[in-house]
Amino acid sequence: MTDTDTVPAKPARRERKPRQSDKVRKTSFTQALNNALDLAMAKHDEMFVIGEDIAEMGGDFGVTKGLFNKYGGERVRDTPLSEAAIIGTCAGAAMVGMRPVAEIMFADFLGECYDQIVNNVAKMHYMFDGQFTAPLVIRTACGGGFGGGPHHSQSVEGWFLNVPGIVIVAPSNPVDAKGLLLASIDSDDPVLFLEHKALYRSRAEVPPDYYTTPLGTAAVAREGSDVTVVASMRMVPMALAAAEKASEQGVSVEVVDLRTIRPYDADTVLSSAAKTGRVVVANEAPKIGGLGSELSARISEECFSELSGPVVRVDGLDTPIPFSVPLEEVVLPDEAAVSAAIAIAAQY
Amino acid sequence: MDTPTLIGLYRDMWLIRAFEQGLEREFEKGNVPGMLHTGLGQEATQAALAHHLKASDTFFPDHRCHGINALAQHRYGGDGERIMAELFGKATGVCSGKGGSLHSADPNVGNFGDNAVEGSYMATVLGVALAAKIRSQPNVACAIIGDGTVGRGEFHESLNMAAIWDLPVLYACVNNGYAISMPVGEGHASADIVDMVKGYGIPTRQLDGNHVIEAAEEVGEAVEHIRSGKGPYFLEFKTWRWQGIFAGEFRPEAEVKYWREDHDPIMLATEALAERGVSQSELYTVEQEVKELIEEWISFAMESPSPDPAKATADVYVGWEVATR
Repeated sequence: MTDTDTVPAKPARRERKPRQSDKVRKTSFTQALNNALDLAMAKHDEMFVIGEDIAEMGGDFGVTKGLFNKYGGERVRDTPLSEAAIIGTCAGAAMVGMRPVAEIMFADFLGECYDQIVNNVAKMHYMFDGQFTAPLVIRTACGGGFGGGPHHSQSVEGWFLNVPGIVIVAPSNPVDAKGLLLASIDSDDPVLFLEHKALYRSRAEVPPDYYTTPLGTAAVAREGSDVTVVASMRMVPMALAAAEKASEQGVSVEVVDLRTIRPYDADTVLSSAAKTGRVVVANEAPKIGGLGSELSARISEECFSELSGPVVRVDGLDTPIPFSVPLEEVVLPDEAAVSAAIAIAAQY
Repeated sequence: MDTPTLIGLYRDMWLIRAFEQGLEREFEKGNVPGMLHTGLGQEATQAALAHHLKASDTFFPDHRCHGINALAQHRYGGDGERIMAELFGKATGVCSGKGGSLHSADPNVGNFGDNAVEGSYMATVLGVALAAKIRSQPNVACAIIGDGTVGRGEFHESLNMAAIWDLPVLYACVNNGYAISMPVGEGHASADIVDMVKGYGIPTRQLDGNHVIEAAEEVGEAVEHIRSGKGPYFLEFKTWRWQGIFAGEFRPEAEVKYWREDHDPIMLATEALAERGVSQSELYTVEQEVKELIEEWISFAMESPSPDPAKATADVYVGWEVATR
């Protein structure tokens, strides 16, 4: 159809009803991280960003988009598939006062640089008697729920939970993602910064200015009096949704968002546990030897007399992550699992 | 090389040997905790490297580097005894006894510490070199590695990245023939490490690591190449370690005899100095002075206090204290 007469005229632009999102431009988790990196690079001359496909391509998830054009290839540096060399480069540069930020495309690949992180980065300050610091940040995309399969879906915090010297940061929303990333870059301790892939598209009103969210502090994401749910990353929005539903049943749920997994904010966790006396600990990772194990043990140790019943754990099953989505749904915890755990705890 | 320089290297080699022999003696007496990997037999390689590295350069020492650590500490810090004290686990050590034999570091003298997962710092050295490049500093970042390191993935990741980024890295591979008990030619595709490095396009040189004149001259050329901004350089020092394995000597008798008796680096230097007319008594004086110094260092280490128990929980984090018992 080349005859222009036969082409229907463009319909007049329809009047749209103003929506909430038009009043305040909401920012995605990814954009919040991107903004944080931009602000940090402007602040710290000695900061560089390094990883696979992070320069002109802007990263597999677009977190470093635009930084290459703004700051150039010296400070926004693509690498070959050499995770050990990426972290080693960051460690060595940090030893002489630079402030590198590495992107490990998928957290599952941390196995390739595990030695660098565990034996070098985490121990450097200690074993050399404080003569070196390792002010580097390792950003990485973790978590399942999208059919990524066994090597693109894991929750890896347990791999590092037993490693003194490393800080593990795990935001649950765009506002914290920005503030925590800026705080991580400012920190003189090495930070493993976990970005749950299912959260990348979540949106919120994110202040455009430079601000930091202190490391090692949890947030009470929702106040309540009957049951405490301690969660992080993707489990937080699930816990909040489950809490809302529980409130309809007359159960008041407090949600504690850990934000930093190591060292975690024991004061906030324990005081909430002592207040409600009923605790659910929710994690996506396999149950055995993980964050849920640590939290439930600590809460039981320190709040035993205040507890009405045992800590209830919500976890992933003790399996690798299967590819097929119906199988993955069997393995990973969901909102219904959190609701079921709240119902059990509420009966104590 | 002029004669005073060669006498200086001779002194440095004796400092390394006396350090290690004194340490061995104290280890056998039970005064040195943990494990002991000495650099005996490899003195020329270490002295040659130390000769050209400045305090503003960086080196990551290998398993058998007490000697170069002590040399750098003595030369640039004036307190070589603190390396000895570190090996005794004492408060006066360079890391207050927290690092020990395999983690002695002092950035003020360029010593960025061994990492006892051998080869790991092949990755770390990249970052130090990258920082120097970004800051336009003419510094050399040196990774001293053993032949066993060649088997690690970091070896290849490091050579590749140093090559593509033209980083100022000096790779000093101390090929002493064995990774613990594994002969270099059985554990690697080539017994000549340089053959494997050539594919990365990095300039290489294989040399007699027991011949201190040749070693020092080659290190000098490599360092000049790197300082002038021409990128990484790989040196393979063919040498041999005196120490056997835990179970004792396992190498052929003829091989032991060759390296210990016919190709001892100090003996080779002694012969070279004799040809230049330096008297035996002058060399004997050098040897005795250094041995006395080492005995002073051992006394210092022995008499130093143990670390304050509070050190056990200090410096895990910059921003947090960790729980004490």
